[in-house]
Amino acid sequence: MSSENKTIKFDALIVGAGIAGGEAALNLANSGYKVLLVEKERSIGGKMILLSKVFPTLDCSACITTPKVSEIARHKNITIFTESEVTDISKTADNDFIAHITKKPRYVHVEDCTACQLCEKACPVSVRDQYQYGLIGRKAAFIPFSIANPKAAAIDIENCTLCGACEKVCPTSCIDFTMETEYFELHAKTVIMASGFSLFDPLEIPRYGYERYKNVITSMQMEREIAPTRPYNTILRPGDGKVPDKIAYVLCVGSRDQTVGNPICSQICCMYSIKQAQLLMGALPMADVTIYYINIRSFGKGFEEFYQQAKGMGVNFVKGKVGKISELENGNLILRYEDISEGVVKEAEHDMVVLSVGAKSNPSVANIFQEGRLKFDPYNFIAQSDLMGSPSKTSIEGVFVAGTATGPMDIPDSILSAGSASSDAISYLIQHETV
Amino acid sequence: MKRLGVYICHCGGNISDYVDVEEVRKAVEHEEGVVLAKTTMFACSDSNQNDMVSDIKKHKLDGVVVASCSPKLHLVTFRNVTERGDLNKYTYVHANIREQASWAHSDDKQGATGKAIHLVKAAIAKSRYAEPLYPNQIEAEKTIAVIGAGIAGLKAAASISDKNINVILIEKENRVGGHAAELGDLFMSDEKGYDLVNRVYNDIVQRENVTILTGSEVISSKGSIGDFTLKIRKRPQNAGDPVETMEIKVGSMVVATGFESYIPKEGEFDYVVNENVIALPEFKLLVDKSTGDRLIYKGKTIKNIVYIYCVGSRQNEGGNTYCSRFCCTSVIHTSIEAKKKFKNIYNIHLNRGIRTYGKQELLYAESLKMGDIYLQFDQTTPPEITSNGKNSIVTVTDILSEGKKMSVEADLIVLVTGMVPRSDQSVGTMLKIPKGRDKFYNEVHIKLRPVETVIDGITIAGACQGPKNISESVNSALSAATKSFSYVSKGTLETEPIIAVINEDSCSWCGKCLEACPFDAIEKRNVNSREIAVVNSSVCKGCGMCAPVCPPDAINLIGYRNEEIISMIDVLA
Amino acid sequence: MTGNLKKSAKILVFSTEKISDPAIDMAGLLKLHYPPTVYTITIPCSSGIKPSWILHAFEKGFDGVFIAADGSDCVYGETCTEKTGNLVSAAHEQMKAKDIEPARLRMAAICSVCSEAFVKQIRSFNEYLIKTLHAQEL
Repeated sequence: MSSENKTIKFDALIVGAGIAGGEAALNLANSGYKVLLVEKERSIGGKMILLSKVFPTLDCSACITTPKVSEIARHKNITIFTESEVTDISKTADNDFIAHITKKPRYVHVEDCTACQLCEKACPVSVRDQYQYGLIGRKAAFIPFSIANPKAAAIDIENCTLCGACEKVCPTSCIDFTMETEYFELHAKTVIMASGFSLFDPLEIPRYGYERYKNVITSMQMEREIAPTRPYNTILRPGDGKVPDKIAYVLCVGSRDQTVGNPICSQICCMYSIKQAQLLMGALPMADVTIYYINIRSFGKGFEEFYQQAKGMGVNFVKGKVGKISELENGNLILRYEDISEGVVKEAEHDMVVLSVGAKSNPSVANIFQEGRLKFDPYNFIAQSDLMGSPSKTSIEGVFVAGTATGPMDIPDSILSAGSASSDAISYLIQHETV
Repeated sequence: MKRLGVYICHCGGNISDYVDVEEVRKAVEHEEGVVLAKTTMFACSDSNQNDMVSDIKKHKLDGVVVASCSPKLHLVTFRNVTERGDLNKYTYVHANIREQASWAHSDDKQGATGKAIHLVKAAIAKSRYAEPLYPNQIEAEKTIAVIGAGIAGLKAAASISDKNINVILIEKENRVGGHAAELGDLFMSDEKGYDLVNRVYNDIVQRENVTILTGSEVISSKGSIGDFTLKIRKRPQNAGDPVETMEIKVGSMVVATGFESYIPKEGEFDYVVNENVIALPEFKLLVDKSTGDRLIYKGKTIKNIVYIYCVGSRQNEGGNTYCSRFCCTSVIHTSIEAKKKFKNIYNIHLNRGIRTYGKQELLYAESLKMGDIYLQFDQTTPPEITSNGKNSIVTVTDILSEGKKMSVEADLIVLVTGMVPRSDQSVGTMLKIPKGRDKFYNEVHIKLRPVETVIDGITIAGACQGPKNISESVNSALSAATKSFSYVSKGTLETEPIIAVINEDSCSWCGKCLEACPFDAIEKRNVNSREIAVVNSSVCKGCGMCAPVCPPDAINLIGYRNEEIISMIDVLA
Repeated sequence: MTGNLKKSAKILVFSTEKISDPAIDMAGLLKLHYPPTVYTITIPCSSGIKPSWILHAFEKGFDGVFIAADGSDCVYGETCTEKTGNLVSAAHEQMKAKDIEPARLRMAAICSVCSEAFVKQIRSFNEYLIKTLHAQEL
């Protein structure tokens, strides 16, 4: 096995190819800089590419993301490494960073793959599909999801039995089990951290019964249920496949909650829950949708109007913190909550519960920079050294931060923050140009 | 006769499961001019793209049609393929047989196939007329104007200057800094507003490529992206000096004209009529400027402060329906400051749901911990202000405690006012920047093009686009700066060649086209001693609004000429 | 089988690149069905449609013409609604002169996500056209 480093050079390294990293990459590339975009997943597009529609315009998320993503993928100044991780970065001088990158093998030659799905049909292995948030299964030879970019098969080597069925059916012979992990040493002049966020894991709050009760799902799972590329082609509860008609949303799951160590507000959950509620009302006109909230935070452009619109459509808003969820024999769920307006504890039955999970920091970037030089805030988001004057600056000059790597934010704010980070990065590159 | 190549995509099965692609191929292969008709599993795959390039060369094609998914996904992809085959990319024509045939009519395979055949034939018909087009190359002035020198404008100017582009920063007032310059302590920062403004101002004021014009207004704008001419009027600095006017040439503009604070109407929560009632900006100033260990207002020591939230925000239709987003955090921050700075301060917050989003939540938590009281009212039962002769009494119906009525004596009542659009929108009107329902300037698309306006070359930054705090304004300013920079950085830029063309022979100037044009892209010109209409190709956006209003039908939009549309209709009928 | 009964009228739709065509695409994506004899020609802005094209479509045998207008979402400015309205009135005048029932030309603003509205409009237009033009065939 070869573990020798290949040396590569770019103007900018961008860590994370979600919507913020992608936007920043495009800005730099359009200004003529060579960008390396490193993504740990098999597709670029981050979490946004998996969403249904986006608030407050209700644009289809895929329709906004796919053209962006293909522009990024096509750009001659952008090189993309998927399934890759930046293991460490060090700053050797102004304008000179050295990073080490591990690129895992896909076992498929992307340029030859036509995404015909024959390998998928032939593969005998079934595992949970992480891109559908576990709602359905997928094969070990698979296309991550229908609008993935690159849209090419990949082999999930951890679950693969090496039976060779996929290789036999592949019409272009693009499957190659001899591919190996590649190691790169990268020289870059500037770095943008666009490493995004992670979703709160509701297993940390056992009283909500996530995974114990089949009809308690997360908001991201609901997002998949209502997306155009959805797994079931209709909305149903996972427990028994019944179409739900009394759905509850529990807000602030893992946010504004000191008991799970996250006192801050995740800033997106109110709005995505209201959006999902509107989409559910459209898809299931007979269904009741109730949102249990502490405060509704519809603060952005057009958000308050969107909230009022949901009220007008008949979404129930109940000011109350849900204490506990329990399950009935028929799979329905009893929510015990404090009704704040009446000051009494009440119970309500629902046939499906959506936990509006919050946004937490992405732990995988915590130790990328040597000697802890990159500073983090108490919640492990990347610290902004000049929040008011230059929000994308970090504790290291020449390293900028974009999107939710600094804290929760919605898509418009992420895109503006990416614009800001790329602006500062371009300035940095120009100011350090050697004549 | 053109030599055309036609590719019909299976799209895996997305198309071929419902549309018989082979039947489509057969139906079109003998159409006039078609020298090649193929089906392909994935037209967009690299392998097919390479085939197309070699087909173009081998079969000497001069037109290509791909029938596949929506052009929104892959029109650009196939235009580029055409270009790689050394054809002009505008000769490429796309047919959408997925979203508008196989998927839309997946319930009727015969119908879907029939429709696909029609659509491909129509594309072939259009392809016969498709002509090579060349983007307009125009020179771009490497100077950018930033209008408004609040924190957004200052930061945009700094960022553009950092990129070695000249900036002209134009400010109506005699000083820079806008609202931020009036602020003391800022939330989530140790810096004061005026110190922040000074830091940014001092950084740019000496720079060679930055010109700051205070007391100045843009009074007219001519031209278009790459080449705007702005007329600027500078107020005299000393009495008796003449008014100075100047003309500047810029390639692009950043509009950062900011917001105004909502000023309550006289009598709105006793504003003006009760001297104990002040608005948020006045309160912030008071807390910042007061010294000593007591808070004194109008000679009186202030203890109980009652805050009434959402004044002028989140109103019913007719009022400002939007949330101003910064005010909850701003007032909580200032109330904490007041409590820390002065003795015996009691804060009572009458709110409509606290919106301290993100990390700002920590301020709310701190305030609760300090013992501040939060009561919540519904919009339909706003707090009432009465007097006991000595002091003001505020009565609120608290929805958090079963609608209990509570009264508090207030030494000071702070109306938590939000942001409203500038009452003077002359800059927007002059530059034709569209406004949203909330009357703030509107971006093209909040996610795809959040700082661009429909006017090419003009970006918007900061709170003129909608309420924002300082950090958010700066992000938007830097985004706008980069966008404006990208327009001019190369010194030249390309504009779309799809524009209106006027048949000089049939035009006899009537002015109807100019009236219809939203962009003033049409001029009256004297050609061979006849007055006719002429399209300014760098200003025309190609909307075609001028075409139907022309009495002699002398106007056509390139790519959508009469013959193209008529030939498509003939085929579809 | 569709059978011999005429179920779908031949309708020409003028859609717009940035606003209404995306909605029509999305109708397909969501598998919201409408008659397959509905054909779309896409142009930049609904205010750029010439009445002569509409008249030509009727002469060539289209049963109906539907303008999926930009409405207030038009990227070229607020005047679009009014201008599209004007050209529709102009076309109506010309249709009357040629004895073509004005109701065979319809217009509705279709926003970029108004897929359901589009399909609803087209279905009802189709029903109307079938009833008035093809009653004898039913």
